[in-house]
Amino acid sequence: MAARCVWSTVSGVWCLASSLSRGVFQKINKVPLICAGSVQCRGIRQVVEKTDGKTTTIEGISVGASQWPQPPNPEGRCPICRWNLKHKYSYEDVLLLGQFIRSDGGMLPRRVTGLCTEEHNKIAICVKMAHRAGLLPDHRPVLPEGHVPKPKPQLNRYLTRWSVRSVKPILRKGLKWCKVRMPVGDPCLKNNVHYSLKPVYMKH
Amino acid sequence: MSSFSRSAQQWATFARSWYLIDARMQPPGKISTMCSIRLQGKHKPIYHALSDCGDHVVIMNIRHIAFSGNKWEQKVYSSHTGYPGGFKQVTAVQLHQKDPRAIIKLAVYGMLPRNLLRRTMMQRLHLFPDDDLPEDILKNLTEELPQPRRIPRKLSEYTQEERDAFPRIWVPPEDFRMK
Repeated sequence: MAARCVWSTVSGVWCLASSLSRGVFQKINKVPLICAGSVQCRGIRQVVEKTDGKTTTIEGISVGASQWPQPPNPEGRCPICRWNLKHKYSYEDVLLLGQFIRSDGGMLPRRVTGLCTEEHNKIAICVKMAHRAGLLPDHRPVLPEGHVPKPKPQLNRYLTRWSVRSVKPILRKGLKWCKVRMPVGDPCLKNNVHYSLKPVYMKH
Repeated sequence: MSSFSRSAQQWATFARSWYLIDARMQPPGKISTMCSIRLQGKHKPIYHALSDCGDHVVIMNIRHIAFSGNKWEQKVYSSHTGYPGGFKQVTAVQLHQKDPRAIIKLAVYGMLPRNLLRRTMMQRLHLFPDDDLPEDILKNLTEELPQPRRIPRKLSEYTQEERDAFPRIWVPPEDFRMK
């Protein structure tokens, strides 16, 4: 990947030259280059030194991305539309969901991933369901040092809509016409593609 | 089989078989419907309600059953001892901790026909919380039934090649730092 952030500005070179001539180690002020669509803070770059006779060039090379494959629908507004995955994923597709989460299990912000609002919400809900089903064992939150978690009953579950601690038992189930249902899955996934004759059953 | 002799064919038709089901990560309701069908004998073309043609069913790994939704906290099992103030309501979590077999046992009991044969059919149901089965039951088993629910794979169970083969859906901006 070509070097993106060569300090070609005059002031930058002057700063470098002066610091090198003085021979004193100084913290070099980074001059922010404003490229199209970039944010104020810069990413981490690898510092590379090249010496050509009397000229020493110090470059910061960004760790570039390799060639990503082209999505089948490049006119899409968000990554999901571009890859034609709009109604086709669920809580089980951990390889897809794992691309939008941090190492401690939280979701990445929408402005970074580029997802549209509804897809971001759907993926957030699927990630929560995957966490509750135990499909993301390596993305656990970091506990403070010395904190021993209380022994909780290890129960298997899947398609849990609500958080485990927030749910109350249904003590009075009601008669047939006013039954209190136990919800399964989430209504945001009701438009998912399914090839069975029975509709998706969410009110158990 | 048509190649059997008449007596062997008759014996094979009317014999009582032993089925094995692994209930790991399976919903208890679906396991119970499969059980009740086989305990009544409704999976056989020679079924008749009075002819006692049900089979034995052995379920293992009941401790690792999986409820969908929030049923572990929401489902309530109620009973009354008969004495005043004896109405007890227990959630599925508490019942599972007290007795792991109770959830499946109650589910199958509710799915069998409400007649005097129900108790004999329940005697033919064998429940084991873990996968260590006694030897005499292991010797009797004839067939293992397929699990009703497909278990999804965890992210740690995917190999690195499968993870690399899956395309990156979005490209992070250059200035983005992953925590």
